[in-house]
Amino acid sequence: MSTSNLRGRVWKFGDQVSGDDGIIDFSAVRDGFGKPFDEALLKSMCFRRLNPRFPAEVQPGDIVVGGVNFAHHNHIEVSAAIKLSGISVVVVESCESGFIRRALSQGLPVLTVPGIATRVADGDVIEVNPATGHIRLADGSLIEGQPFSGRMLAIWQAGGLVEALRREFAAGAA
Amino acid sequence: MEPTARTGQTIAQKIIARHAGRDRVEPGEHVTCTPDHVVTQELYWPTHKRNLDKIGAKGFKRPDKAIIVIDHTPSAAMGSAHAATHRLLKDLTTEFGVENFFGPNTGLRHLVLIERGFARPGSLIFSDEGNIASIGAVGALNVPTSADILVPLLRDENWMTVPKTVRVDLVGRLPFGASARDVVQTLLRDWGHGEFLQCCIEYGGPALQHLSMDDRQTILASTFHSMSDTAIMEVDQVALEYVQERAAGRPYEPVVPDADAVYDRRITLDLSTITPMVTVPPEQTGATPVEQVAGLKVHQATVGSCAGNRVQDLRDAATLLRGRRIARHVTMYISPGSQNVYAQAAREGLLEVFAQAGATVLSPGCNTCWGYLGVLNDNEVSITTHQFNYQGRNGSESSKVYLASPLTVAASAIAGVITDPRTLLQGAQHV
Repeated sequence: MSTSNLRGRVWKFGDQVSGDDGIIDFSAVRDGFGKPFDEALLKSMCFRRLNPRFPAEVQPGDIVVGGVNFAHHNHIEVSAAIKLSGISVVVVESCESGFIRRALSQGLPVLTVPGIATRVADGDVIEVNPATGHIRLADGSLIEGQPFSGRMLAIWQAGGLVEALRREFAAGAA
Repeated sequence: MEPTARTGQTIAQKIIARHAGRDRVEPGEHVTCTPDHVVTQELYWPTHKRNLDKIGAKGFKRPDKAIIVIDHTPSAAMGSAHAATHRLLKDLTTEFGVENFFGPNTGLRHLVLIERGFARPGSLIFSDEGNIASIGAVGALNVPTSADILVPLLRDENWMTVPKTVRVDLVGRLPFGASARDVVQTLLRDWGHGEFLQCCIEYGGPALQHLSMDDRQTILASTFHSMSDTAIMEVDQVALEYVQERAAGRPYEPVVPDADAVYDRRITLDLSTITPMVTVPPEQTGATPVEQVAGLKVHQATVGSCAGNRVQDLRDAATLLRGRRIARHVTMYISPGSQNVYAQAAREGLLEVFAQAGATVLSPGCNTCWGYLGVLNDNEVSITTHQFNYQGRNGSESSKVYLASPLTVAASAIAGVITDPRTLLQGAQHV
């Protein structure tokens, strides 16, 4: 089994979910510019408006599955809130490129896999492998998305961009 | 394996290929690009500086490519943490040898890039915001990043995914009372639900010749609300003349799409069908003809933001404000996009028009658009050329932000209620 395989319980959300004004409240963005993340606040807000059980019941290693145009309009606090909540990976029907980039910088992989939403139910246990793009569903069937590039994998496996860059600088590579 | 048939390339593909050292690139590919410039604003720099310290970086790889602009916080009020950010950037850019540092009130990155000739046809610029696609008016490609704006600063390259391209052909001419802002608000109403995800919007078509450089930047700056990666326009003679005046001998090479370029979608937008629109909160897709919301009382009216702060925007507002006063219960703020816009507005007498109308002209910057100045109280209604209309964006969670053109904003400020600008434009001398 690849070390990049992530297995977890699914929290499923729908289509057209706003990031700044849905997954979290915009107030966290407005009050947060340039400051270290208010971890307790972001965790308490995360997905609360869409599933009030989420902040209290989410477990480390859980997986988020989202619909079309997921997390549209998102500042860095959105992916931070999801990551801080313990989510290991986000798999969506579609989302903007910026969400993937912001989340990856924070060590949270986001994969776009058309068709995922119709084949996964809330509470399913699935396996996601960003290195291969493979998603193993609860019934054992497989969906293939686009794999991460080597560079994206390196950022994720370092736990985020800053640590990846620190390692590069320490190694004298940059 | 049989080689696949080679098709033509779009503008974005060609610019990305050139900066990736490749002959061609395909949509969906992850590639590494070396930029012409890297542009960033001040708000996240306390975080960026902490991260630079963790990384152990003592400078940028190419400080000559860095452009750092203080545009969100034109001044730091008593007790504000932003005074420290201004100091941090003044000191850091001196230490790192960043020549192109622009302090408070220079203007927005968007305008600095284009007015000073940093963005030129065929340029690729890593930035920190999607609305900097306004530089597409000169055929430059904005590639928005986030925390990883540090990567091109430290390494002179960064990864990106090659976007698909959607082609939007503009035809026809705008009718009386309609403007560029109404064009893009209409586009977002029809195509703002994720149809353009992971795409570059390539604008072209015969109507470009009727749009000023300011109009073009307004359309491009708001296109990112469609969740597209970026946007760009074909470069015509009007754009080339603009560039030639500002390039100061620096090289550029216009890029045109191949005749057989492959587009994810092609859309024709007839400008003659556009009418004044108001985007109702809280969604960007909420554009409706102004008649549908006319009469709604407004407490604040603002002209500003990277989608509405250029000379043409100020001229449009002044057309209606000249010889009139804003309603007693309305506060009106106008934020020029740059020192150049401010100075031009002064030369044209626009600042006097605004002062006599009772409007407040702020210093060049983002200002009211992100709620730094002109904060809205509970239940207040704002009509504005800002970029965003969602809950709490400009102050109280119960306030409401309606988006419109400078003409509609000015008409509404005068009447004190949302107003169709065409009712006041009759007889006005449009400059």
